[in-house]
Amino acid sequence: MVSATPAHKFYVSITKIEYVKEKNSLQIITKIFTDDIEDALQQRYDTSISLDTKKETEAVDEDLKKYLLQKMIIKVNGKTVRLDYIGKEYDTDMLVAYIEVKDVKELNTLEIENKILMEMFSEQQNIIHLKTPKSRRSLILDKDEPSGKLKFN
Amino acid sequence: MKLFNSLFLSALFLISAAVSAQDETETTKREPGHYNTNRFKQLYEEFSTPNMFRTASGAPGPSYYQQQADYVMDIELDDKNKKITGFETITYSNNSPDVLEYLWVQLDQNKRAKDSKSPLIESSSAAPADMAGSFVQNYMDGGFDGGFNILEVKDAKGNPLKYTINQTMMRVDMPKNLMPGEKFVFSIKWWYNINDHVVDRARSGYETFEDGNRGYVIAQFYPRMAVYNDVEGWQNSQFWGRDEFALPFGNFDVNITVPADHIMDATGELQNRKEIFTKEMMSRYDAAQKSFDKPVVIVTQAEAEATSKNFSTAKRTWKFRAENVRDYAFATSRKYIWDMMAVKMGSGSVMAVSLYPPESNPLWEDWSTRAVATTLKTFSRMTFDYPYSKAISVSAKNQGMEYPMICWNHGRPDKDGTISDRTKFGMISVIIHEVGHNYFPMIVNSDERQWTWMDEGLTTFTQYVTEQDFAEEYPDAVAPNKKYPSRRGPAKNIVDYMAGDQSQLAPIMTKGLNTYNFGANAYAKPATALNILRETIMGRELFDFAFKTYANRWMFKHPTPEDFFRTMEDASAIDLDWYWREWFYTTDYVDIGVKDVKKFYVTSKMNKEVKEMMVARGISENDLPPLVYMVEEGSEDFEESMRTEKLEDVKTLNEYIMDNIPAEERAKLKSPNYFYKVTFEKPGGIPMPIIVQYTYSDGTSEKMTYPAEIWRKNDESVGKVVASEKEITKIEVDPDEETADIDTSNNSWPKRKKLGDFDQFKNKTNPD
Repeated sequence: MVSATPAHKFYVSITKIEYVKEKNSLQIITKIFTDDIEDALQQRYDTSISLDTKKETEAVDEDLKKYLLQKMIIKVNGKTVRLDYIGKEYDTDMLVAYIEVKDVKELNTLEIENKILMEMFSEQQNIIHLKTPKSRRSLILDKDEPSGKLKFN
Repeated sequence: MKLFNSLFLSALFLISAAVSAQDETETTKREPGHYNTNRFKQLYEEFSTPNMFRTASGAPGPSYYQQQADYVMDIELDDKNKKITGFETITYSNNSPDVLEYLWVQLDQNKRAKDSKSPLIESSSAAPADMAGSFVQNYMDGGFDGGFNILEVKDAKGNPLKYTINQTMMRVDMPKNLMPGEKFVFSIKWWYNINDHVVDRARSGYETFEDGNRGYVIAQFYPRMAVYNDVEGWQNSQFWGRDEFALPFGNFDVNITVPADHIMDATGELQNRKEIFTKEMMSRYDAAQKSFDKPVVIVTQAEAEATSKNFSTAKRTWKFRAENVRDYAFATSRKYIWDMMAVKMGSGSVMAVSLYPPESNPLWEDWSTRAVATTLKTFSRMTFDYPYSKAISVSAKNQGMEYPMICWNHGRPDKDGTISDRTKFGMISVIIHEVGHNYFPMIVNSDERQWTWMDEGLTTFTQYVTEQDFAEEYPDAVAPNKKYPSRRGPAKNIVDYMAGDQSQLAPIMTKGLNTYNFGANAYAKPATALNILRETIMGRELFDFAFKTYANRWMFKHPTPEDFFRTMEDASAIDLDWYWREWFYTTDYVDIGVKDVKKFYVTSKMNKEVKEMMVARGISENDLPPLVYMVEEGSEDFEESMRTEKLEDVKTLNEYIMDNIPAEERAKLKSPNYFYKVTFEKPGGIPMPIIVQYTYSDGTSEKMTYPAEIWRKNDESVGKVVASEKEITKIEVDPDEETADIDTSNNSWPKRKKLGDFDQFKNKTNPD
């Protein structure tokens, strides 16, 4: 795409995934710019959707959940796993969503596809930070490579 | 006697250490030598040798020079056809000691030419979905051609000059070499199609409003001289779209012709104000120059709305003159509301100005010009009095881009007038940031093409200081928050980035184009590094003086990173080479923790170590000076009775005090009963001060800071003996999260399992 990135606007989301072995749980925290995700939800579901304003309705959580779970696919040890949407909150200009994968008894490989906002912004980067009891790894996903695989052991 | 004692003791321990070291090396292979890899080594290899252009102190040297480019330009903007044409005459002064064979001129708009190579350096693959606009551009070749059309390049006599265009750079060949001290005058005639900056997310272009009117924010629109200097020669690195600019200073005389009903503002002073302004506007303008507490509207919303209905075909020329600026930009539209207020600056005043369409209200009328004013005050306090006559904030969709005296900023209410906090704070923050760029790089003119962090990092840092000032000046604007919700600046906000996978990180000292995560790398990390330097390493007083010294030394000049690094040390007497190396030249991170805590008791009973040493050295107790022994809790020599032993029960110590310290001084002696050997570890690379909070059994606490230099001889762990009159119940490293420590799980003794963000949120939502 032939375009300059406006100087101070970055199309980035950050997803922190922590494997908590004693709980057999993958804890996922995703931070997305609120105005970007609001644009995406408006275009997809309803132009009146408003986030982090007095106009925000409870119904928006369903739309957000639908969107996030559609755009994020995780495979643990080669198998696609179920993502449980826990909820969301706001931090300054970011929306922070909490998602959990339960019953992860061991973690040998993790594949993650994160296409959040890539249909909106061709330069969208989705950064993944993974923390296990033994290591820290990162992936930078973009339209050209929207998924990545991490091996452990 | 005292001297003898300490010499004796150290000799005793030294020799025993040497003996054991020898035992080990006899059986293993001798280790090879090594270079100096100490983290506190000076940056002699990284820095260039100081010279007559740039001194070791970080100031411009006696032979410092810079080139000058003066422009006389006639510009016409054709609103109907979305075209801009220009005729410019450049007077280029060779102030360097070098003979120049040719000149390099920047053609930034060629980035938007049909044959631009910018898309070719980006990797690509088939995307499941694409924006229609980029699909057309990528695959259907119906794309927009927004490159420069150069019609002529001529010398002062009107003879054509030979020129060669290489993408976004044009080499102009002169009839003869330009000698030191000489000037060369030449002219360029050009035009190009103006792009829609909303569609292709550009920094310059137009946006179309629902009523069919356009707002133009026009920049890097004319062929601009490249910088020639002592560090880069010609800075003719291509413009690929993301990294910004390197430009010499000069004076500009610019005539801009636009539709007669447009309202415009631009870099420089308006020369024909009487021609352009109505009587009404003139009297409002006079009032604005005396209004220091609130903006005065020059063109009202009602007037802008009325003007927007007629599309005048008549033309009008606005004439501007700007002195000592590195660039030129303007904004023009029928839609603009225009307000201004005065800001005290030194013995005079300057104007804070805003231009915005009705779509930006209600919001811009309240905060834009006020945010400009606060920025001028805070940045001037941190650097120098703002030397230009005005600073303008223009409302433009999705924008955040800076030019001398003028900048474009995003943030508008929803159509129904709703203003979310993030829209409001996003808008105030971007205005502070872009207006702040007047200082870095517009006046302290660093090379943006090479070192993005030098302007973005310094501006983002000072933006943070300004935001906090803004909240103090306008508490109602941030209520119910007490502080301004700054996104970048606080140390803990950079932790996610610094903890990332090393393969995805680049040092700050990397050309902006080549970084993986531009925002964190060029803005957030350098801004945070400077904030930590100010708050934790140097202290505000020393930092602020040095920062101000840098700004004043390089005001209206071209500094390099080294000039900044050197000045900060030179003006503060703090050796910061280690800090620059770790934070700016590497991707290292901070992780410091408490590894181990051992409790000791003081006794006069000789312990095992000393007994063994006496045997080995063949000496008896009588040969020893009076010693005080430390016994570790739980060790072989430890006896339960030691817990209650008071210092005065330690015979050797008591005798020494009686013999050596006069009675009246004895009362002043401290009487520590608890001794701890605390071992700190440093799994992270960056040596930072160890900031420790000791909490005592009575609930009180005390903060100690051991300077970063504590790590100079041992990069992994260091021990500290803490003598205390009260029992210590808790030891915590970096209790206020001021060092960007990426792993706080090792920061406390006894180990404290802190509930993570995820579990905290989950407990909050499902309190079962």
